[in-house]
Amino acid sequence: MADYLTCPFCGFEFEKTDTLCSHGCPMGPWCNLIRCPSCQYEFPEQPQSVTWLRGLLGRRPLLRPEAPGDIRSIRELKSGERATILCLGGGSTRRRNSLAVFGLVPGAELAVLQHHPACVIQVGETELALDDDIARGILVQPNESAKADT
Amino acid sequence: MRETAVLVGNPNVGKSVLFKNLTKRYVTVSNYPGTTVEIVRAQASFDGRQMELIDTPGINDLTPRSDDARVTRKLLDEHGDATVVQVADAKNLRRALLLTMQLAELRRPTVLVLNMFDELQERGGKIDTDGLSEILGVPVVTTIAPRNVGTQALIDALPGARPPKVAPALETAVGDDYELNRLRLEWVNAILADTYSVVQPAHPPAGVRFGFWAMHPVKGPFVLAGVLFVVFWFVGLLGAGTMVDLLEVGVFQQRLNPLAIRTVDAVLPFSHVHQTESLSVSLGVPVTPVHEVTVGTLETEAISPSYALEPGADLGALRRVLRFGHDFLVGEYGAITMALSYAFAIVLPIVTFFFLVFSVLEDSGYFARMAIMVHRVFRFIGLNGKAVLPMILGLGCDTMATMTTRILETRKERLIATMLLALAVPCSAQLGVLLALMASLSAPGALVWSGVVIGVILLVGWLTARVIGGESSDFLLEIPPMRRPQLSNVLVKTAGRLNWYLKEVIPLFVLGTAILFLLDQLQVLDTIGRAAEPLVTGWLGLPREMTNAFLIGFMRRDYGAVYILDAATGPDAVLSAHQILVAMVTITLFMPCIANFLMIAREHGMKTAWSMAAFIFPFAFFVGGMIHRLGQWLII
Repeated sequence: MADYLTCPFCGFEFEKTDTLCSHGCPMGPWCNLIRCPSCQYEFPEQPQSVTWLRGLLGRRPLLRPEAPGDIRSIRELKSGERATILCLGGGSTRRRNSLAVFGLVPGAELAVLQHHPACVIQVGETELALDDDIARGILVQPNESAKADT
Repeated sequence: MRETAVLVGNPNVGKSVLFKNLTKRYVTVSNYPGTTVEIVRAQASFDGRQMELIDTPGINDLTPRSDDARVTRKLLDEHGDATVVQVADAKNLRRALLLTMQLAELRRPTVLVLNMFDELQERGGKIDTDGLSEILGVPVVTTIAPRNVGTQALIDALPGARPPKVAPALETAVGDDYELNRLRLEWVNAILADTYSVVQPAHPPAGVRFGFWAMHPVKGPFVLAGVLFVVFWFVGLLGAGTMVDLLEVGVFQQRLNPLAIRTVDAVLPFSHVHQTESLSVSLGVPVTPVHEVTVGTLETEAISPSYALEPGADLGALRRVLRFGHDFLVGEYGAITMALSYAFAIVLPIVTFFFLVFSVLEDSGYFARMAIMVHRVFRFIGLNGKAVLPMILGLGCDTMATMTTRILETRKERLIATMLLALAVPCSAQLGVLLALMASLSAPGALVWSGVVIGVILLVGWLTARVIGGESSDFLLEIPPMRRPQLSNVLVKTAGRLNWYLKEVIPLFVLGTAILFLLDQLQVLDTIGRAAEPLVTGWLGLPREMTNAFLIGFMRRDYGAVYILDAATGPDAVLSAHQILVAMVTITLFMPCIANFLMIAREHGMKTAWSMAAFIFPFAFFVGGMIHRLGQWLII
């Protein structure tokens, strides 16, 4: 089961594999810093002993993603909803890059056009069809104010 | 020294059309991302200046991650002094500018072309081109490539090309690609805020609305069914039925073949008598595979390639040589009577009709929507929506479709698509005959056939996806806007494709026929036929004569089906409905034709071609036999 971490700076919860650090870093595997994909804050991973202690005190480590507030994946948005991207989630750098060239980066606004028969989103003037797999990985925050005009 | 200009840009922004406008040279142009597979170069002369122009495949990103980006990058490195002409989709400025930012880091003289400017205006968008030109420090030109608007302005702007300014934050930035892309995007957003504005029109254009229907979960399948029906009528009935009949019987069998036979007989004489047959050709509008509204019929007597030796004729060595030459040219597997008539009378009209309708669909932007409709099913068989293009092409010609599997991103996907094309996608030459056969089956029989073919595609696709190692690519497809296809573009594109088809595929047909001729001369065909006979009669429960149909079926899958059609519906029908079903299933699952085998060998190597053949033939017999056995319980 994947471990979920909480950024002590901004409170963003993410999977450990999502950390954007470590590509080409000279520290390599010896680095024990984790970088939050949302605010880029770097913090050391909590040692096992602390987790155990906190467990004793009744504070369970987060094992399942309890998406705080209204953070969802694209897959969970309704058709026609607009949202702002928080992070591009799992997958390889290669995938993140191919998304980035379409303008899909944290901070960009998108609208979900449909989920069936395949997920289609709109970013700027580009309409993109996505795998469910990719859609599930992209975490967004719905924009309450504007609804997409389909 | 000659100047060079390289056209660079995102996929599907109109580089190839612009290239055509600049050089008057034709490149395949379509409304589908990723159509320029190879690099195209041409010379052009602008106001007396000689220039070499290079068209490149569309890229979203200069980092050499995809083959296309690698090719483009290498090209830019090779031509260190070339002017970069970046072509952009005006309504998609953000993505274009992201690429501009990457190009800027190469510090090459650049011109930015905002193409499809009309579509931007239609959608209520405005771009301050002067402002953009000032911020980027490069000339900015607006064009509408399909209507050849703005080409001269671009030519005039070429000498003014300058290296674009690099974003301030990027001058000193270090980090991985992703990090850099983020910085670039921030800068692009800042530029856009200054130069780009959009006012949504109250009513979306009709094309936009139809585009939504075409990928709607409920309306979409109806649109898909409608499109497939039109394609089937146009290609399967009008092309493969009426036109082929007209050309094969009316032109080749009634006129050209007899002429060729008489000429060869005169030049290479040996004592033999050709058989004469009565041939009729009718012209009409097809309604169903077996009915048509006939306009006129023409019946003639013509000599056929089959002949009998005169009784008591003595064939000396010389005569044998003459006979060999005669057979090679106009015999049953002759170069003229079989290869050419096959290529020009059957394959050519069908693929012409197919290319026509294919070009219309491609130009309209429907294919990307089709990819969305089928994506989840294709995912199951280890492919993704993008594979819809080769699969649909397979319904035209499997050999050609095998070649276009190149557009798929990973080796695994290319192999799965090639396999499924060879195994279960019937080509148009065969589809017409199969549908005619289906007319003599009961409705449940027809359902069993379709069910078996679809089931085989799903099962074998699923299995192949698990057997073959490697990655499936991510499905991330940009959906182009729906556009009204332009007649000139469709015609030019069809002509371009046909030209390519004649050069790439027809030689394989001729080579295939030559191999067939040799096998026939060496008596290999007879031997295989005798060896396969117990399999056909015992395992499949079909009459002995069907062996020949299967054998011919590999060489020409449609021919094999015609044999069965004659045996099933001809004046002396020998097949029961149950046997027709078994034969139909078996022949559908066979490898399409020897040309397809040669194409697989060319694309994936001899070893792969043989392993596929080694799976497909036993598998076709296996499934046929199972239908024979199981079908006895079902009443079909």
